[in-house]
Amino acid sequence: MSAVIDSGHAHDEHAHGPYGGVMRWVTTTNHKDIGTLYLWFSFTMFLVGGMLALAIRAELFQPGLQFWHPEFFNQLTTMHGLIMVFGAIMPAFVGFANWQVPMMIGAPDMAFARLNNWSFWMLPVAATLLVGSFFVPGGASAAGWTIYAPLSTQMGPGMDLAIFALHIMGASSIMGSINIITTILNMRAPGMTLIRMPLFVWTWLITAYLLIAVMPVLAGAITMLLTDRHFGTSFFNAAGGGDPVMFQHIFWFFGHPEVYIMILPGFGIISQVIPAFSRKPLFGYSSMVYATASIAVLSFIVWAHHMFTVGMPTAGILFFMYATVLIAVPTGVKVFNWLTTMWRGSMSFETPMLFAVGFIFVFTMGGFTGLILAIMPIDIQLQDTYYVVAHFHYVLVAGSLFSLFAGFYFWVPKWTGRMYDEKLGKWHFWLSIIFFNVTFFPMHFLGLAGMPRRIPDYALQFAGFNEIASIGAFAFGLSQILFLWIALKVTVLGRGEEAGQRPWDGADTLEWTHLPSPAPYHSFHEQPVLG
Amino acid sequence: MASEQTPKSASPLQVAKAVLGSFLGIRGRAAHESDVTQLKPAQVIIAGLIGAAIFVLSLVLLVRFIVGSAA
Repeated sequence: MSAVIDSGHAHDEHAHGPYGGVMRWVTTTNHKDIGTLYLWFSFTMFLVGGMLALAIRAELFQPGLQFWHPEFFNQLTTMHGLIMVFGAIMPAFVGFANWQVPMMIGAPDMAFARLNNWSFWMLPVAATLLVGSFFVPGGASAAGWTIYAPLSTQMGPGMDLAIFALHIMGASSIMGSINIITTILNMRAPGMTLIRMPLFVWTWLITAYLLIAVMPVLAGAITMLLTDRHFGTSFFNAAGGGDPVMFQHIFWFFGHPEVYIMILPGFGIISQVIPAFSRKPLFGYSSMVYATASIAVLSFIVWAHHMFTVGMPTAGILFFMYATVLIAVPTGVKVFNWLTTMWRGSMSFETPMLFAVGFIFVFTMGGFTGLILAIMPIDIQLQDTYYVVAHFHYVLVAGSLFSLFAGFYFWVPKWTGRMYDEKLGKWHFWLSIIFFNVTFFPMHFLGLAGMPRRIPDYALQFAGFNEIASIGAFAFGLSQILFLWIALKVTVLGRGEEAGQRPWDGADTLEWTHLPSPAPYHSFHEQPVLG
Repeated sequence: MASEQTPKSASPLQVAKAVLGSFLGIRGRAAHESDVTQLKPAQVIIAGLIGAAIFVLSLVLLVRFIVGSAA
């Protein structure tokens, strides 16, 4: 509020620091504090979702039922998906947006600071509902993360808790997006024109619009589910004149843009890291912006490629197939631009760059398997097999998660004023990329051989590759404990060399050029002057 | 964008080119700079909607052609 009355800069040092103790975190309206909360929350959820994944892989280590009842196994796969998508990946990117967007555009904070606090504090409530649903009669939702009707209309109260949790997380995402859009459009420092905005800010601007467009669609779908379950409606019940296939259409009209919501900010992080460690400006900056916009637009007209086997007129199948394949064009533009940024660059391979290069390599493989799945005759064979599981884990783990790691190692010196442990960081990268591939590469073979998803038991011929995948999964999981230690060491314990204002000599965005490390609690009291 | 120079309003052709560029994902820096200074948001949104409609319609026509020729 005081921003309205500017009584001169001599009084600027009155800005108070944070409250002490727990209340600092409960009451905070500071974008850096809220960013930290988002990141720790998402990492906690990542560990919870990871434990569920390991419970799945333990059961699948050998054929036969070793640990879990099939009903509980279905709860594990469902909750693993929901927690990772809505609890880990999405809030993690919002955490990065909170920390970085104001600093990168020269703004003192987010536009709506209290809304920002509320956006975050809704999330632990939603997470409690989700995790708590394991303990209600009938257990957690077991309808898969896509919660298809009619399965989801028949589940116990765990499904209701999941619906409420999704509603809350959706509201949180919408509020966060409004905040991000308003901040970017209204609070840029003078001279920070749209075409000078860092790519990370551009990708978040476009992602925020995607979120506002599709989260209400999800809210609509699950509200209809709720009224079908409890209030006698028949939106998705054929016996009452409804149509279960309609749920799939509505869900995927949300679900496919959601896929890009989880990857576009990652593209933004990679587009900051690659030029910094190649010591060259990003090649094709404008193309990158336009490609991001293009991907966002295309994401709205491809949803039914998730439903090729459900039944559709041939013309519909061809339409969605062609539109899907065309997404390879802007995505290819991005990959080629990253490669040409590195071309003849003066490259060095610190941990952020390792994760960024690893991202390009492994994410591109996920993109290619996406193209393969987009071809309807092949998809008919591979639908609901482990090939699909392999594909989306290549995109979401090697894509989204690796970009988050790259972003963490890149910016943590600015956040804490200290360097992370470079040696351990490199260990983390190599362990992650090796065991990621040990886990998920064999799943391609399993899928090609016909192993279906979402089953606790399987035929004997799948045993070998499942053993390998389970070993890889446990090693990958343990590697993330190493990451926890690296993160604790540099953030909480404050151990590590002093970073200095600009530890990466190729990084040239405002947070590196205008702010000390660690970035002060209140940055940019006075608007930075851009040349 | 509060730009200092008087913004020259863009021709429909330039708007179409910008939208086409965004669909393809390729745009030169100079063209992008003039886009950002000269295009108004309303122009871009309307042109984008028209572009998306043309894109969808052309895909539909292509599909109809292929399905029709197979029959």
